[in-house]
Amino acid sequence: MIGEKELIEGSAETEADVMLQKLLHLKTYERPETARMTRNRQNIMRKVREAEANRKKSIFERLELSIPWFFAEPKYGIALLFVAFAALQYANISSRNASRNQSTGIYTTSQLADTYQQPAMLAATNNIVYPELPAGIRYFPEQHQSSDIMFVNRIEPQR
Amino acid sequence: MVGDIDLEPDDLPEETDEEIIDDDPVQEGPPDDELVLKAQQGDVHAFDQLVERYHDKIYGLTYNMTSNREDAEDLTQEVFVKAFEALPRFKGKSSFYTWIYRIAVNKTINYRKKRNRKRALSLDAFDQEIKTDEAYHDLTSKGSPLRNISLTELQKKLNEALQNLSDKHRTVVVMHDMQGIPHEEIAEVVGASVGTVRSRLFYARRQMQSELAEFMK
Repeated sequence: MIGEKELIEGSAETEADVMLQKLLHLKTYERPETARMTRNRQNIMRKVREAEANRKKSIFERLELSIPWFFAEPKYGIALLFVAFAALQYANISSRNASRNQSTGIYTTSQLADTYQQPAMLAATNNIVYPELPAGIRYFPEQHQSSDIMFVNRIEPQR
Repeated sequence: MVGDIDLEPDDLPEETDEEIIDDDPVQEGPPDDELVLKAQQGDVHAFDQLVERYHDKIYGLTYNMTSNREDAEDLTQEVFVKAFEALPRFKGKSSFYTWIYRIAVNKTINYRKKRNRKRALSLDAFDQEIKTDEAYHDLTSKGSPLRNISLTELQKKLNEALQNLSDKHRTVVVMHDMQGIPHEEIAEVVGASVGTVRSRLFYARRQMQSELAEFMK
């Protein structure tokens, strides 16, 4: 097998090499028409400009680009600000309404209360079964008096 | 042993950390680095200057690689547009010249793979200056086997021989023997060692000599 070094040494210019180099040198005279090359360059730059126009710009670049326009056309700029303000207001109102409709069910109408699904935890708490106690023993002391809570402007019964 | 040229799926080569090789010493206008920086900031005019500077070289490469001027025009266009799109990712590890050459070589090889390799030749005409060239005089002088052959026929045979080379071999022949690019720069462009480039050149020349044997007697 011929080694790389031998290859290079063996590539010393022979007559055939010189002949080939001369032939290949002739190929450098194959020259394109100037008009075609000019057109090609123009096409390249047209494509490049298209690519530049389509290149996605960041929000900061867009803002930077729009600032001169804002000052050049102040009435449109102010109108745009007004529209933006109105849109924000509308968005704010909509979100407030949406949050009001998403009630927890505590403050709601009786019709809506029926449809409101109670959390499973609550339902479980209401179904607690207390153990039966021997007769005569009560869970809670019998209330002979009214509640201990004193209500304002309420006439308590005389003890 | 002949190495492979690693191709990226999108024809875009990775930049290497290899030492930057200087571009042509004679260069008018601002340096490439400056133009590249401006182009990266969206200065299309700066890129226009780069196109102006390298258009002929890239066209020469793609034309000699394909021997078809329409394909070469399309490829040249694609190479520059691709380079512009990829410019934001160009970090300057290699020179712009090396980078765009790599794009051109990869794109041309992929293009040939996708299309029929045996595309019809569509050649640029020889410039009339050829008749004043010393090599032309030697080749057409008395006793030369090229004495009785027409220039058109010679051109056809030459291009056919070139197209019969493998892509890797044709690349080094075009870059070295036609465009005069040194081995070191070719090695950087094709991503192979200098020894591999020399080896490819050797085999490519041998093959061309056998293809053009009738003119070599």
